[in-house]
Amino acid sequence: MGQGVLDVDDSSFESEILKADKPVLVDFWAPWCGPCKAIAPVMNQLEETYGDSIIFARCNVDHSPNTPTKYSIRAIPTIILFQDGKVVDQVVGAVPKSHLEELLKKIL
Amino acid sequence: MSDQLYNVAIIGRGPAGLQAAIHSGSKKAKVIVFGKPRNSGLYKARVANFCCSEDVITGKEMLEAGRKQAESFGAVFLEEDIIEAKSENNRFILVTESGGAFTFETLILAMGVARKKLQVKGEKEFVGRGVSYCVDCDATFFKGMDVAVVGNESAAAAGALALLLYARTVYLVCRKPMISDLLHERLKRSEVRILQDTWVKEIVGANEVEGLMLTNDESLKVSGVFIELGAKGAMELAANLGVVFDAETFSFIETNKKQETNIPGLYAAGDITGQPWQIAKAVGEGCTAGIEAAEYARKLADSERSRG
Ligand SMILES: Cc1cc2nc3c(=O)[nH]c(=O)nc-3n(C[C@H](O)[C@H](O)[C@H](O)COP(=O)(O)OP(=O)(O)OC[C@H]3O[C@@H](n4cnc5c(N)ncnc54)[C@H](O)[C@@H]3O)c2cc1C
Repeated sequence: MGQGVLDVDDSSFESEILKADKPVLVDFWAPWCGPCKAIAPVMNQLEETYGDSIIFARCNVDHSPNTPTKYSIRAIPTIILFQDGKVVDQVVGAVPKSHLEELLKKIL
Repeated sequence: MSDQLYNVAIIGRGPAGLQAAIHSGSKKAKVIVFGKPRNSGLYKARVANFCCSEDVITGKEMLEAGRKQAESFGAVFLEEDIIEAKSENNRFILVTESGGAFTFETLILAMGVARKKLQVKGEKEFVGRGVSYCVDCDATFFKGMDVAVVGNESAAAAGALALLLYARTVYLVCRKPMISDLLHERLKRSEVRILQDTWVKEIVGANEVEGLMLTNDESLKVSGVFIELGAKGAMELAANLGVVFDAETFSFIETNKKQETNIPGLYAAGDITGQPWQIAKAVGEGCTAGIEAAEYARKLADSERSRG
């Protein structure tokens, strides 16, 4: 079990995500987005299981316009897996939990 | 019971919603049912495996009979889609496609499952790169751009109107709008460009969506395409209420044996809670949900009355 899901924004993205010493799974979301609400508990569950080796974070696109643009995000939720500052993989939409676990297994 | 016009709202008039209306009505709840018969999975079915109906009957006949039965128990029907659901102070607020807003003590979700994919070339490839299934979620990413919305029903029409606040040009690609007169009027008076009697053949682009090929052989230059088939479904309406979905597929609403969701006063029944997708299961769950919802509304009214 790790630290819970970390909130990041445009100003902390570089230090918390790109320069992190562990892989990071970032959930780009917004409060008005229904599917984002549906997937939020899954991020928490995954964090409880894999939080020791992976950082789980979320970025509210409403407060952070630059980062979603940088990663060409045009649908939410978009969930991106970063390692050493680079995008390893990404998924769009409220995907099944098993699908996200597959993603994590790529780097575990 | 409270002084409100209705205290139990049911979204969906398939077998689950109808059975819920019958049982809620028989418990003396004031029931209103939203939805359209032709959008029930049953509408085009011929049914042979439903207990105690010996002859093969058509789904259409069943749906009509169910409506009459529910009406005889006092339920009221409104043939409109719900385009927005929210909760405030333990009450549910529903907005219909014509713009009416209603407040309820309890809500039963019986929207069934509907196909949401267009199944054309380019659709899968460009998900998240111009293809979206949720105007409410993604409109903000298309500020100042040209976009198309695809669909014939309330989700597409309402979605196109919502996109006018963000996009430069909004096209609505449809065979024929199948929406309430009021919504149709709003659409026609708006700046939405309606392309009727046509459909999408292919979504084209290199790395992201650049346009659409239509079945009338016209092409359309757009950066975004919103696929909004049918009415808003479980994900679009219920997720906003904070409902928990099954973590495995994210398609079904989790309930217990009383058909309660994780939200007090909110119930779900029928195809929307998962397989088997059968009438027998839908009416069984509808029955339970109807009884439980009526009971919940009664207790809520009693406790509010005793508190003064
Ligand atoms: C071709 C076919 C044949 C079938 N044959 C059989 C069979 O022989 N035996 C059997 O047991 N089952 C059969 N089924 C399955 C059966 O039809 C479904 O299990 C059943 O209809 C589910 O009932 P429901 O009430 O959950 O949803 P549905 O019957 O699908 O009803 C959904 C309702 O919700 C409404 N709705 C949806 N969204 C909104 C919204 N946003 N606002 C307002 N209203 C909304 C729709 O208008 C509709 O009225 C068949 C299905 C099909 C497609």
